[in-house]
Amino acid sequence: MSISVEIKDIVQEYPKPDGKGVTRVCDKISLAFDEPGINMLLGPSGCGKSTILRMMGGVRPIGVQTPTSGTVLIDGKPCDGAHDDAAMVFQRYSNRPDLTVRENVAFPFRMKLWKKKVPKAESEKRVTDILAAVGLADKHDLQPAQLSGGQNQRVALARALVLRPRILLMDEPFSALDAQIRQEMQALLVKLYEMQPCLIVFVTHDVTEALTLGDRVITLSTQPARVADDFRITEPRPRSAIWARSTEAVKMEERILNILHAANPGRGELTVTV
Amino acid sequence: MSDDRSLWNPYTPLSPGLRRGLGIGSVLLVLGIWAVAAALALVGPNKLPAPWKVAEAFVYLAWDAENQRSLLLTATMWSVGRILSAFVLTLLIGIPIGVIMGASPRINAVLSPLIDPFRSAPVVALLPIMVMWFGIGESMKVVFLFIGAVVYLIPMVRDAMQAVPQSHWIAARDLGATPWESVRLAVLPMAMPRIADGVIVATSVMWTYITVAEYVNAREGLGQLIQNARRFSAMDQVFAGIIVIIALALITYQLMQMIKRKLFPWETQQ
Repeated sequence: MSISVEIKDIVQEYPKPDGKGVTRVCDKISLAFDEPGINMLLGPSGCGKSTILRMMGGVRPIGVQTPTSGTVLIDGKPCDGAHDDAAMVFQRYSNRPDLTVRENVAFPFRMKLWKKKVPKAESEKRVTDILAAVGLADKHDLQPAQLSGGQNQRVALARALVLRPRILLMDEPFSALDAQIRQEMQALLVKLYEMQPCLIVFVTHDVTEALTLGDRVITLSTQPARVADDFRITEPRPRSAIWARSTEAVKMEERILNILHAANPGRGELTVTV
Repeated sequence: MSDDRSLWNPYTPLSPGLRRGLGIGSVLLVLGIWAVAAALALVGPNKLPAPWKVAEAFVYLAWDAENQRSLLLTATMWSVGRILSAFVLTLLIGIPIGVIMGASPRINAVLSPLIDPFRSAPVVALLPIMVMWFGIGESMKVVFLFIGAVVYLIPMVRDAMQAVPQSHWIAARDLGATPWESVRLAVLPMAMPRIADGVIVATSVMWTYITVAEYVNAREGLGQLIQNARRFSAMDQVFAGIIVIIALALITYQLMQMIKRKLFPWETQQ
């Protein structure tokens, strides 16, 4: 599968609340992704990571022009609106409370776009398969209120993956979950990625999460956000606890933390889960 | 005394038995005061008939043995029929308008100045206009009830749509829905319980307007029954009629609440 996403000289400015002047959130950010892989976008809360992710997804925040300047290219073509190459998973999973788990996962197939693209028989099969893959086959008849937060996030993940997106954009999807559930979800994501490789851009402010999941870790500074660091991790997944304590991993962690602290002494929120 | 039993704790769980007991108690207390006032003739019987007189009137209205008829049943059927017609009309017109207003600030900006002011306008004062436009027959009564209710329903439906968090709309858009599909598939279903609340309020409003609707040239109906009784200074029948309307309104309300809980069981679990 070939895929290329390129963002070039992205500048994003938001008007200040008092209406006088603008705040620059992203300052000339350029990044290129040209193969399947898990790419971690790391930085303190409010540094503009989500803004970049949304630009790639094509669904724009309301009331502001995004980006202020710069371009997003998907397979070399400018992307300036919603497109169906990417699916997004948010921290808030937005499952329909009146539908069952299965109906929620099949939700996109109620839309004209997917009805036309995916025949009924295939969509049914895809839903069954992905429900099994995320471990919800036996819960397919329950409603979101009967599920835990982690299970609800599995539903949201399945609902995105059932579309077989070439790009999966994840906006701090696990940060509202308990530590143990978060680890389970990270392991699940790795498993799903291996089953169905795609280009994942995963936004997080958790350094440990970035090192656990990423093929590539991009660290942003704030504010405005600039690409401060960009490196690869070759250690195969799943990454053991032993690797996490290895000199290699500890050095990576220090490298990231140094950059973040140097860029923003005392600002933003950063977590390292142990 | 533990906080659980304090009078001023809004979160005290109340057993159904105690709640019912207190409710019945307060109604009985008022009935008692009313009975004593009537028995001691503190107020003239033309102003306040005794409760037992009202009960007698109720029995007479429910079954008039002499003429082998139930005035109350006939009147109730007519009034319920009018409310039902207006109810269907209100839903068919009110919900779609409210939904599109809630889904589009532009449509809302156009329609809200035409609709919102009527919430505080004296709809009763429109009755003469209704008569001019729709005559004095059934359609006038149904349209009057419809206008009275729909001006409450539309803004409530609109507000229900606007109260749904934007994240639902965005999530659907991102999955490939068109903007309208996002409204229909993501926002509207989330707004349904509050829309149902609006329908319940609108129906209650219709019960309060039924007497007014039947003010002009009604041959049958609960409002007409009360009018008629008043004309003959039968205060006991006036009271009986009012109590029947209140009872019917309460039953409708409870019934609709029950239906709403059945339709949207997920709402309370949110």
